[in-house]
Amino acid sequence: MTPENNTSLRDLTRIATFTAIIAVLGLPGAIPLFGNAVPITLQTLGVMLAGAILGWWRGAASVLALLLLVAAGLPLLSGGRGGIGVFFGASVGYLIGFAFGAAVTGLIVHAGATKPTWLRVAVGSFVGGVLTVYLFGIPLQALVTGIPLSVTAIASTAFLPGDLVKVALSTGLVMAVWRAYPRAFSFSRKPRAAEFAPLP
Amino acid sequence: MQPLGLYRPGSSVLHRAGAGVKLISLFVLALAASVPPPSIWLLGGLSVLVVTLYLLAGLGFRELARQILMIRWLILLVTVTGLLFLPLDVALANVTRMTLVIVLAGLVTLTTRTSALLDAFEVALSPLRFAGINPQRISLVLALSIRTVPVIAGFAQQLRDAQRSRGGRVSIRAFVVPLLVLSLRHSDDLADALIARGAD
Repeated sequence: MTPENNTSLRDLTRIATFTAIIAVLGLPGAIPLFGNAVPITLQTLGVMLAGAILGWWRGAASVLALLLLVAAGLPLLSGGRGGIGVFFGASVGYLIGFAFGAAVTGLIVHAGATKPTWLRVAVGSFVGGVLTVYLFGIPLQALVTGIPLSVTAIASTAFLPGDLVKVALSTGLVMAVWRAYPRAFSFSRKPRAAEFAPLP
Repeated sequence: MQPLGLYRPGSSVLHRAGAGVKLISLFVLALAASVPPPSIWLLGGLSVLVVTLYLLAGLGFRELARQILMIRWLILLVTVTGLLFLPLDVALANVTRMTLVIVLAGLVTLTTRTSALLDAFEVALSPLRFAGINPQRISLVLALSIRTVPVIAGFAQQLRDAQRSRGGRVSIRAFVVPLLVLSLRHSDDLADALIARGAD
């Protein structure tokens, strides 16, 4: 389970690919909800998917890679935001929460399992992609903006309906990808020999 | 050079300064703005410094105004909520401090090439070697991600066009499942190509 002893090139390209997927999911349209400083996007859906499909450390690594690229000045966050300035703004906690959220989702979906179940994916997406992200996002938003924690927390519940929709989406999407391309999941390591079977 | 980045080419002192120096100065100034209790002198002094640095970088008041305009919703939110829940002077100090730090961070992004920042990160992350993580692998993941974003954005465009040509309603599910499968297959092909060239 440790990153080093089973890191293969295949892991690295998957991490990089999910970094790009999370970035692309932020593209179509961030909907800035009036009155709140943190826009709604499909990017959190990307975080849930990264954890659920890649597992805890690859999922977290793909989010961390995204954050490094953003810090280096690439506009990969929803709505074309980027630059090191976002780490000094109100959404910094949510960005940190993304990395932990992907890890928590991955742990819940993968720990001791041989295949994803919809229940694990739904619980994982909610606990990882919603609760964990809020756990880091809300206190840091209160700290950066100087607005009391309780007020910030209440204001953030405006995002809860959207997040619940994303949990439902994530569950359906992960199960569909499992049926369509099970090789992508880190569960499917064992049938690896079959990949190198001689051609008929 | 970097069409995707937020970098503005130039030849000022700030453009020529090392990325590491700029990052460390940014963190020092951000701490100086946040840790001591806010006073007119501190925030006034920082404002003068920020304006001077923008002029020194040849970016001018226009770019400064654009940077502030980019975070207008955040400024509005923090001002309105602050005025409701905090004493007037504390509320105004909060907004000023937050705006100054974000605009200052924006200056680093505007005057530093993405490649220079990524190199600085690689140096900063090199102690991870002792935790068993190879910094060169992090660089490889970042380079692969940068290359993969346009590929996956291309998949997304193809899928949207295909849905539109079938005349169907654009549903998230019918968009994201094939996007994930195409992307993950691309990732495995990329890994095969790298292995075939002896990259691992």
